[in-house]
Amino acid sequence: MKIQLIELPNRLLDKMGLVKKDDLNVGQVDPKGIAEAERMVENLKKECPAAISGYLEELTKAWEDMRDLPDNDERAELSERIFTLAHEIKDLAVLSDAHLTAYFSESLRDYIGETELNLEAQRVIIQAHVDAMTVVNKQQLKDAEGEMAEELKGMVKIAIDKYK
Amino acid sequence: MFPGARDPNAPEAYDLSNFTVLVVEDSTYMSTLMASMLKAFSVGDIMECHNAKEAIEVLTVTQARSKSRFITNVDIVLMDWLMPGGSGEELLNWIRCHSKDEIKFMPVVVISGFTTEKIVAAARDLGANETLVKPISAKGLASRICNVIEHPRPFVNIKTYFGPDRRRQEQVINFEDRRKTTAEEIQVVKKK
Repeated sequence: MKIQLIELPNRLLDKMGLVKKDDLNVGQVDPKGIAEAERMVENLKKECPAAISGYLEELTKAWEDMRDLPDNDERAELSERIFTLAHEIKDLAVLSDAHLTAYFSESLRDYIGETELNLEAQRVIIQAHVDAMTVVNKQQLKDAEGEMAEELKGMVKIAIDKYK
Repeated sequence: MFPGARDPNAPEAYDLSNFTVLVVEDSTYMSTLMASMLKAFSVGDIMECHNAKEAIEVLTVTQARSKSRFITNVDIVLMDWLMPGGSGEELLNWIRCHSKDEIKFMPVVVISGFTTEKIVAAARDLGANETLVKPISAKGLASRICNVIEHPRPFVNIKTYFGPDRRRQEQVINFEDRRKTTAEEIQVVKKK
């Protein structure tokens, strides 16, 4: 036998006491609930800039603590913390259309998560990201394009290319 | 029709008050947002975990005690893909490779911040029922939940894959079908 096709009873419809008769949907998520959930997203978007600033402050502090440490467990822990914070910032930036913050936080997260970096490379690359993100946050830059955005991206790219 | 009036042809709203949804998301903001959205959808019980390891512990207890009056079974899992301390990939793999039916057939919606098709394809190839790309929207989440409820696909078990049938619709082809599998090689199993 090459292929086993397993047909399952529809437990979820059963649970609601609904029966499917044809291809049409027998129900839907309450449209009022969807509208309410959409309002929640909009409200969270308003909170995002303050939340991003808070996380960026934490990230900068973690980086200051980590910067001059030798390659030890404490450095690894702080590196993981920076990874998590960058990831968190990225999610909030995407949600609130802060494209430039999303760009830098994703780049920082990926460099920490996927690249084997020596101490010197880490210093330069993380510092470049932190500097860029601080400027973006202070100036409340959203768009990932434009003169200033390109300049900041260029600055980070130089740091990355140096250690590629 | 008056503004705000209910369309008489629209399907009834689901009563999700008996549903339990497990949200696996490392970001506190996103996790809280998803839980609130599910509450707005009238989901009765929402559990939250922050990584794969925590989720595995929760599912091991909830699904193993499926007949308990006190521990609710999880009906749907919503999971982020990239999480420190155990990724979505790890969790999905654990679910689909599990020996117990209550776990391995669970509906899973992968929510990912990655916009690349590569990640969506990876989630699909590991057996995700649905994928949703961030930024998350209420309509997007509702439509994935609706799909899981209304259009569950049969599971395919072959050497290289276990999960929902990746073909969402029957396609009519206008050329010679070169697939080697014959009807005799397909075993249909009906689960009760």
